[in-house]
Amino acid sequence: MARNRETPASKPSSSPEEPFWRRNRREITFLVLFLVLLGGGFTLISVNWVNDHAIEPFTAAIARVSGAILGLIGQQVTMNGTIISNARFAVNIRNGCNGVEAMLIFLAAVLAFPAPWRSRLAGLGLGIVVIQVVNLIRVVALFLTGVYYPKLFDTSHTVVWQTIVILSGVLLWIYWANRYAHPPRETAA
Amino acid sequence: MAQPKPAPPPPERRNWGALLVRNVLLALVPVWLVWFLLTPVYNRVLLVSARNLLHLTESPNVTDLPRRDEHYAYVQRLDFPPAKSLVHSFRVTDLHFHFVLLGALFLGVPGIPWRERLSNLGVACLITVFFDIFLLFFYVKFVYATQLGDWSMTHYGAFARNFWGLGKHLLDLPFKLSLPLVLWAGFYFRRLMPSSEPRRSSSPAS
Repeated sequence: MARNRETPASKPSSSPEEPFWRRNRREITFLVLFLVLLGGGFTLISVNWVNDHAIEPFTAAIARVSGAILGLIGQQVTMNGTIISNARFAVNIRNGCNGVEAMLIFLAAVLAFPAPWRSRLAGLGLGIVVIQVVNLIRVVALFLTGVYYPKLFDTSHTVVWQTIVILSGVLLWIYWANRYAHPPRETAA
Repeated sequence: MAQPKPAPPPPERRNWGALLVRNVLLALVPVWLVWFLLTPVYNRVLLVSARNLLHLTESPNVTDLPRRDEHYAYVQRLDFPPAKSLVHSFRVTDLHFHFVLLGALFLGVPGIPWRERLSNLGVACLITVFFDIFLLFFYVKFVYATQLGDWSMTHYGAFARNFWGLGKHLLDLPFKLSLPLVLWAGFYFRRLMPSSEPRRSSSPAS
């Protein structure tokens, strides 16, 4: 690991006599905004109408793409809405398995972080694509786990792959915030 | 007037982000192993603590959370007939796998001494333990309010069912999954910010 490497700022420029909330206003602003956006996003997708008209079709699309990939690698699968099945195993892709949670966490973190809108939009576009690619790999891998190693399915389903999908969103955000979400440079007219 | 262009970050900032990603990925497997080994013990702590918290809201105490095996447990209502008292089964381990994310994120921060990393991780773990107990409390209330059919309809009104249902939904998905990020940001947010502020003198990192 790095030795004596310079790191970005870690101490507040404000004086220690200032109240806690003022000394840490940027952290507090970020965390409050993040939690509000996150809670709002998840409340929105828990509304039946949104779930039926947006989340379910999106999840069915993920199931179709996953089924197509499984077909390409030689699995004889059939599709029925959000269910992928073959003679040995079946999975129903539900909320929690469609990558929407990781996308919402990433979206809330990007929007809450102080950055130019251009950087935010670029980060959101790229991040959402990457999260969905990781999620597709997850669905395909989980189906194969269910077919060939069914005893490992439960642990793999939640602990391993959910960690990987969320971690991909978190690391993408940290990388984006550290590398691309810097403020605009003042330029002459 | 020219459009403001994003200024490129200084090289050490770029390296810091890449180092963090690398360190987190390296820490993932060891942290997962530690979490896996501690899970049976932590499951017991969680079940006992949540049961005691539930008893604070009950009179008489009617809830028990007996273990089925190392990973699963039951919600038991002691006021139900013995044959029907095990009203729900759930996987306790699924409630706290966010510790893997938390550990990897906190141990992967480059440029600070190990002592400080471990100290910050300790505080974050303590907060997470309280969150997990609270989450299990909400989970059991959610089971009572929405999963027991006619009994739930009789004993919980529409507002209560929605309150416990939405509360469990928010705690179990967004807040559980984003807790490591929230805690990490609480400790290290300034390291992501542009270096317009004075820098900490470089300390030996590992």
